[in-house]
Amino acid sequence: MSRSITLGQYLPGESLIHRLNPRMKILALLLFLILLFSLKTYGGLTALFFIALGMIAVAKVPFRYFLRGLKPILYIVVFALIIYLFFTKGGVVLLRIGFITVESEGVREGIFVIARLFTLILFSLLVTLTTTPLSLTYGMSYFLKPLRYFGLPTEEVAMIMAIALRFIPTLMEESQRLMRAQVARGADFETGSIFRKAKSLVPLIVPLFVSAFRRADELALAMEARGYRLGARRTRMYEDLIAPRDWAVLSFILVLFSAALAFGL
Amino acid sequence: MFIGTEKLTYTYMSGTPFAATALNEVSFSLGKGEITLIIGPSGSGKSTLIQHLNGLLKPSSGRVYFKGQAIGSDKGELLRLRRRIGLVFQIPEEHFFSETIYDEIAFAPRNLGLAESEVRIRVKDALEKVGLRAEQLQYRHPFQLSAGQKRLVAVASVLSMNPEVLILDEPTAGLDPSHRRNLFALLDNLNRSGGLTVIISTHHLDDVVALAHSVFVLQGGRMVLAGPPSEIFTTREKLYDLGLSLPSVTEIMHSVKEKGLPVKTNIYTLAGARQEINRLKGRPGR
Repeated sequence: MSRSITLGQYLPGESLIHRLNPRMKILALLLFLILLFSLKTYGGLTALFFIALGMIAVAKVPFRYFLRGLKPILYIVVFALIIYLFFTKGGVVLLRIGFITVESEGVREGIFVIARLFTLILFSLLVTLTTTPLSLTYGMSYFLKPLRYFGLPTEEVAMIMAIALRFIPTLMEESQRLMRAQVARGADFETGSIFRKAKSLVPLIVPLFVSAFRRADELALAMEARGYRLGARRTRMYEDLIAPRDWAVLSFILVLFSAALAFGL
Repeated sequence: MFIGTEKLTYTYMSGTPFAATALNEVSFSLGKGEITLIIGPSGSGKSTLIQHLNGLLKPSSGRVYFKGQAIGSDKGELLRLRRRIGLVFQIPEEHFFSETIYDEIAFAPRNLGLAESEVRIRVKDALEKVGLRAEQLQYRHPFQLSAGQKRLVAVASVLSMNPEVLILDEPTAGLDPSHRRNLFALLDNLNRSGGLTVIISTHHLDDVVALAHSVFVLQGGRMVLAGPPSEIFTTREKLYDLGLSLPSVTEIMHSVKEKGLPVKTNIYTLAGARQEINRLKGRPGR
């Protein structure tokens, strides 16, 4: 059960991709996506697809995790393909059923869009599979920093997100323990009507809330005891410095951009 | 065998990079009407083992037996099993959700589908079994109770199913010594008068070891020692290596022996120690 609800998809590893600075990973993802959407030719897209595969190989993440990530968008893919097949006109008529036609331009564009979508997901999964949710949060909060000048408490928002992420597995574990404890007292969470099922959740939800509130109280106290104050400037134990490898990745992406421009891909 | 396991192995999150083996080919068995201790350092797999005994967790491999029959995975069968083998979780009062103590204890018998008149009798019985007065307490909120009383109510909320076996996971965690003694005395009484089979996982040996018929020691998911308490506690060094301590009385007997007096060291009750010391002094026992 816990496997289906694991938060995030992070897989521990030691690869170059794992060790990249999370800020750089987010920036790189953004740049890759821009590049992906500015590519016009099959050649360029194929090249980028293989670059994605190459990076997956470097990260040493088993490919089945990517396939699992691709599964949820299968319906979108099928839907998009149908739209393109039947509504994009141009080129040679390949198939004619009554007044409906499938033309070669539709096939070409449909496959192009799907290939782009797949590549997009490969890149995004590569980031989420190799970065802990916590460093992702800190990475993103870095890019949100300018919003501080508009009155948004970005440090605090990042702290809230980090705490939420930190406690999701704890709450998951606790709800499982609770579920087993109540099942040991004869509770049944599976059978019965929707109404009965909703009612059977009371023995789970009440203790879960009680302990969540108690834990929040304790955490607030512990944070204050360790000097946490709103609005105070905080430093971090692990400063995520930008290393040479991060610059290398950035330059690699810039090379790709110029190649795409130079060859008109 | 009344209850036991055969080569029970359990792996958490198997098939992922987070897989962890909690139990490794654990085999043990215990008899009806016995009080059994399962001891071991934290993370040794005690809770995981216990949750297999009433079918809450399914073995990755191996079997769990109850009354000579392997526990299957049929849902109805598991439901019946769970009402015969009651399990009190760690810090069970954190699982309270009702507004009155009555409802809390009535949860299990109501889940069994009993009529409310029968439920009422079960609640009263269960409260009596743990030494609480129904009239006084049953309509109060569980959070109004003291820590010790809460724990007793939690035990009662499982006893109200009238189980044949009662399993308790770290039943004394967070209790002060007097409540601890009280709880163990109560379990002893339920075992003696009602023939209840009791399984206790703990690392607080002192008050409970005198009651135990057998002791099992888990370490890193393996069953490393098994036997009656008089045998288990003679191997002091081995228990130290496992990160466990001896009952205080046994510890003292070991020290006395080290000081050069010829005492037996397989003593784990106060009465036994008194007898042994009297023997040494050349007086008759007691």
